[in-house]
Amino acid sequence: MSGFPIPGFHGRVLEIDLTTGTILRKPLDPQLALDYLGGRGLGARILYDTIDPACDPLGPENAFVIAASPLIGTNAPTAGRGHMVFKSPLTGVIGTSNSGGTWGAAFKATGFDVLVVKGAASEPVMVDIAPGRVEILPAGHVWGMSTHETNDVLAAASEPGSPVRVLCIGPAGENLVRLAAVANDRNRVYGRCGPGAVWGSKKLKAVRVRGKEKIAVADKEKYQAGLDQALYLMRQVPATKRLLRELGTAGLVELINLISMLPHRNFRDCLHRDEDVERISGETLTKTLLEKAGSCFLCPIGCQRHTKVAGRDGGEQTGEGPEYETMVLMGPVCDIYDMAAVTRANYRCNELGIDTISYGGTVACAMELFELGLLTKEDTGGLDLSFGNGAALEALVPLMAFRRGIGDRLAEGSYRLAASVGRPGLSMTVKKLEIPGYDPRASFTQALGYMTSPTGACHLRGGYAVSLAFFGGTKEIPRFSLLQSPIAIRNMQNTGILQDCLGVCRFTGYAFSSDPWARMVSGVTGRDFSVAKLEEIGNRVATLERLFNIEAGATAGDDSLPPRFADLPVIAEGRERRVSREDQDRMKQDYYRVRGWDGGGKPTAESLRALRIEARKK
Amino acid sequence: MIIKTKFFAYFRDVFDGRERDVDIGDGRTVRDALDVLCDSPGRRAEIFAGTDLKPHLVIMVNGIHIQSLHGLETELKAGDTLTVFPFLGGG
Repeated sequence: MSGFPIPGFHGRVLEIDLTTGTILRKPLDPQLALDYLGGRGLGARILYDTIDPACDPLGPENAFVIAASPLIGTNAPTAGRGHMVFKSPLTGVIGTSNSGGTWGAAFKATGFDVLVVKGAASEPVMVDIAPGRVEILPAGHVWGMSTHETNDVLAAASEPGSPVRVLCIGPAGENLVRLAAVANDRNRVYGRCGPGAVWGSKKLKAVRVRGKEKIAVADKEKYQAGLDQALYLMRQVPATKRLLRELGTAGLVELINLISMLPHRNFRDCLHRDEDVERISGETLTKTLLEKAGSCFLCPIGCQRHTKVAGRDGGEQTGEGPEYETMVLMGPVCDIYDMAAVTRANYRCNELGIDTISYGGTVACAMELFELGLLTKEDTGGLDLSFGNGAALEALVPLMAFRRGIGDRLAEGSYRLAASVGRPGLSMTVKKLEIPGYDPRASFTQALGYMTSPTGACHLRGGYAVSLAFFGGTKEIPRFSLLQSPIAIRNMQNTGILQDCLGVCRFTGYAFSSDPWARMVSGVTGRDFSVAKLEEIGNRVATLERLFNIEAGATAGDDSLPPRFADLPVIAEGRERRVSREDQDRMKQDYYRVRGWDGGGKPTAESLRALRIEARKK
Repeated sequence: MIIKTKFFAYFRDVFDGRERDVDIGDGRTVRDALDVLCDSPGRRAEIFAGTDLKPHLVIMVNGIHIQSLHGLETELKAGDTLTVFPFLGGG
């Protein structure tokens, strides 16, 4: 238990420079901890002070930061998620990604709050953090291995004692695939924005952690009150009480189709036959492939899908997934309704270390280019990339991970692929990040969320407007309100920032928003973290991320949807819906205003002062 | 008057099926239709809390959330589709 002035934190930062092999233990600035809390916020601030946002994301000058939160180390529900922040090689702006599993909690137990890794090694290495010892070790023996093999080999080779956890990349990260992921516990994945390629560029294969350090809790009674409230609410709501366990996240497939928001054929339309949708539904998954549900660390929800599927050439394969996003992006977005094919491709992406959302979006883009004759069988090495071809979906995973043949071009992501044939508008991305499984034309709020998400099109950083479409199709916050969307999405983004700063799961948000967290964080730290103060942290982090992106070269023009969403309507709630350029501009301007940014999307000096955001240290 | 009904997730168990046509007699509104559908205390308890809808469930008429229409008092026409599902997130 450390003597750091704020309980809940150890007060220690571990900074590793892989170029020089330097390992530094630095004190955590208590003011940063209070202002940015942990996870995404603290990580973003430390990254901003560590690198030049204009740097080459695959050069040694990029860094990644993983920050824990004051709740990690307690028994707060789902509080075990690690959160990684870096400059994204896919988007060129800030990248943030997190995952469940147990690694995040195991990292905090090493006695550090924050890990910073910068520089680049010349040969494959791993970082080993154990009680009283931090080392950079050679990792040539696991280079080339899958995420599963790497996890198993490195965990088995550890000294006995407290549980050892491994965070690692697969071959896709090693080969600098721009949509490469980082994985822990085999199938828990930091997927979005290409963190695996950042690790690969540093020749970093894995970070292995082991420790038993505990944190202090200042006011156990107050913490317990928040905890009781949270657990009570999670038992009241069907989604957190039972539905996510029974149906998995793919339970949403049929419902999203009901509200005409389920994308199809590279987002050309949202039209599906009901019987096709049923073939990829959560209910069908439960009936046909599910072996058992599973849970991340400290999670009472239990949405994990442990599944078994017949192999394409006989035999059986086991693994995890598919989740909703994977099912939709690899499924109907590629015009594929073959759940077995999606599941096998999902398994391979997990093993080779690829983000399944960007993978599905990139394959769909390639299929459209193939249909238009902009990619030919000559380009693909004879592979038929027609929409609907599940075999191609599976075959492309290793081609991408090892950058073989057409896979080398797909490894650049859909934007660079489409731009290479002169048609960047056919990439369904914002800031070069592939759009997830909710069509933005079916909710203006979701559209604005994708446009203004700091990381590019992401339902988690941009705001999950699906909740509004369901809960919400209210008169107060309708799906198609230009006027209400900016404030609604700002508020949703801030709730998301809070969850990301605390290292907790988004699905807690179906049961409650900030109040139980405010009590728990105040209880642990002994400081006043009211709901209003947490809201201020949300505003501060959003504005800091904006500063990072502006210095990385992003402009207001980048806060836009691909032309398809303005030009080609879908039918929702009985009418044609599109998000015109004028409507995009109007919502954007209102959003900038409620964020305290100027008409060009730049934070004003007044906002920076009010939020106490200091200039970059580096 | 006959309307179409569709159920999702656990409402398929509650109402014994995925979809069916239902005769709501002289009923005119969503509330009337739900009264006909909830023909047992068990079914009623899954839909209503007193005279209001339970939280965390979504009811749509022809694909539009009833809160965007007139709530339980939304009027129905013969052949309309009434959809019942629990609020479920994911992603």
